[in-house]
Amino acid sequence: MLEMQQEMRKVAKELLESGEATVVIGWEKGALPYQTSPVLIRSAEETEKLVWDEYCQQNLSNYLIDFVYSDEKVAIFAKGCDTRAFNRLVQDKRIKAEQFTVIGVPCPGMKDRKQAAKGVADVPLAKACQECRYPNPVYANRTLGQPVTPRATAPDYSDVEAIEAMSADEKAKFWQEQYSKCIRCYACRNVCPACNCTNCIFDQSKSGWQSKDINASENQFYGITRAFHVAGRCIECGQCDMVCPSDVPIMLMNKKAKKDLDQLFGQYDAGLETESLIPLGRYDVNDPEEFM
Amino acid sequence: MSNNPVEKTENFEPKILVFACNWCTYAGADLAGVSRLQYPPNVRVLRVPCSCRVNPQFVVRAFQRGIDGVLVAGCHPGDCHYTTGNYYTRRRFLLMTRMLEYVGIDSGRFQTRWISGSEGPKFQEVVTEMTEIIRQLGPNQKLRDDVTIEMQDFEEEAVNE
Ligand code: SF4
Ligand code: SF4
Ligand code: SF4
Ligand code: FES
Repeated sequence: MLEMQQEMRKVAKELLESGEATVVIGWEKGALPYQTSPVLIRSAEETEKLVWDEYCQQNLSNYLIDFVYSDEKVAIFAKGCDTRAFNRLVQDKRIKAEQFTVIGVPCPGMKDRKQAAKGVADVPLAKACQECRYPNPVYANRTLGQPVTPRATAPDYSDVEAIEAMSADEKAKFWQEQYSKCIRCYACRNVCPACNCTNCIFDQSKSGWQSKDINASENQFYGITRAFHVAGRCIECGQCDMVCPSDVPIMLMNKKAKKDLDQLFGQYDAGLETESLIPLGRYDVNDPEEFM
Repeated sequence: MSNNPVEKTENFEPKILVFACNWCTYAGADLAGVSRLQYPPNVRVLRVPCSCRVNPQFVVRAFQRGIDGVLVAGCHPGDCHYTTGNYYTRRRFLLMTRMLEYVGIDSGRFQTRWISGSEGPKFQEVVTEMTEIIRQLGPNQKLRDDVTIEMQDFEEEAVNE
């Protein structure tokens, strides 16, 4: 990884010195070993700040939205999931691909910083990374290093199936318990590349959609609604789980939606390209019929 | 016993919300009425311009506010007044039905059906059947904003049956 880090610094420096980019988005080291956070680099000297280590899980592509109306020339480092996020944003017409320089970085898998924060000795890979099928950039202007072998070839739905196997009452109890922990900080939404709406329903407090009450019922309204909104758009980056301060198993909802959509309408992995319509944005007259 | 306001009692009458498409199901319900077909007074019909007007969030909100069952009904695929609306309805609610069951809504409490303007008897049949299913299930406790489910409630019920 050190080698790659050197390479990244070098590339960033070149881009900034040549004027090809006026700002480079990458990662820098935080205060603690398991903290690596996004950073904007604007000068050649600053490129020394750039790091590439096993905690670079944060998805950078969402930051591009802030540059849509700016004259700055932006270059961005992107792992497999960042490039899927990039494609999602293009597909949703939030950004234009041509505006940005994407430097792909094949990803060896990032560690679970929540486990690290708990002081676990042998920190495992983040769950999303263990299940990752696209560690290599699916879109890039140029890619550094060598492609890596994906850690998974098929989605793992064993956790979803465990919930499905419960009785209706057990499910209700389980989710009520999970969502009573939610404090509706909306961090899961803010970090999410599928949640890129200019005007999110949860920010429209006067519309009456979502009350300000924090209770299991309202929180579940939030959880179900968000899962439905990102259905077919979620790129399975696992950022939502990672930022949740209350350990709500958010991915368990998103994965359920993905599993069912795939089963019903054929497999669709979001963010691999930008041309297709998402499953809930199209239809087929031969869709399964259960409502006769 | 708990102090939940939704104990199943002998004279429990389910509250059922029907989202009826203006062009077919609403006419079908009307036909059931003028043909003097008896159907349970438990249904509240809410007319919508097309079945695809029904945002899945409406359904969650209905359960939150104390509805015991929700039916979304529209024109048969191919017959939508807006040509393709109900194809989207179908996709959406194929997924939503599964998501709702996943969070614990009993199967049968949420249904989507195609009922045309000439299917008065089908309307009668569907809402009668649904009322019976929900009468058996008892009041909905899941997702409700005035209820905190306690596991015991379920266990007691299971023992009583
Ligand atoms: S990050 Fe967690 S606590 Fe915050 S809104 Fe999302 S689910 Fe709730
Ligand atoms: S819902 Fe979670 S896993 Fe899916 S794209 Fe958003 S942050 Fe990533
Ligand atoms: S929760 Fe829904 S409305 Fe809000 S940003 Fe996400 S997708 Fe958009
Ligand atoms: S008009 Fe009846 S479903 Fe669209």
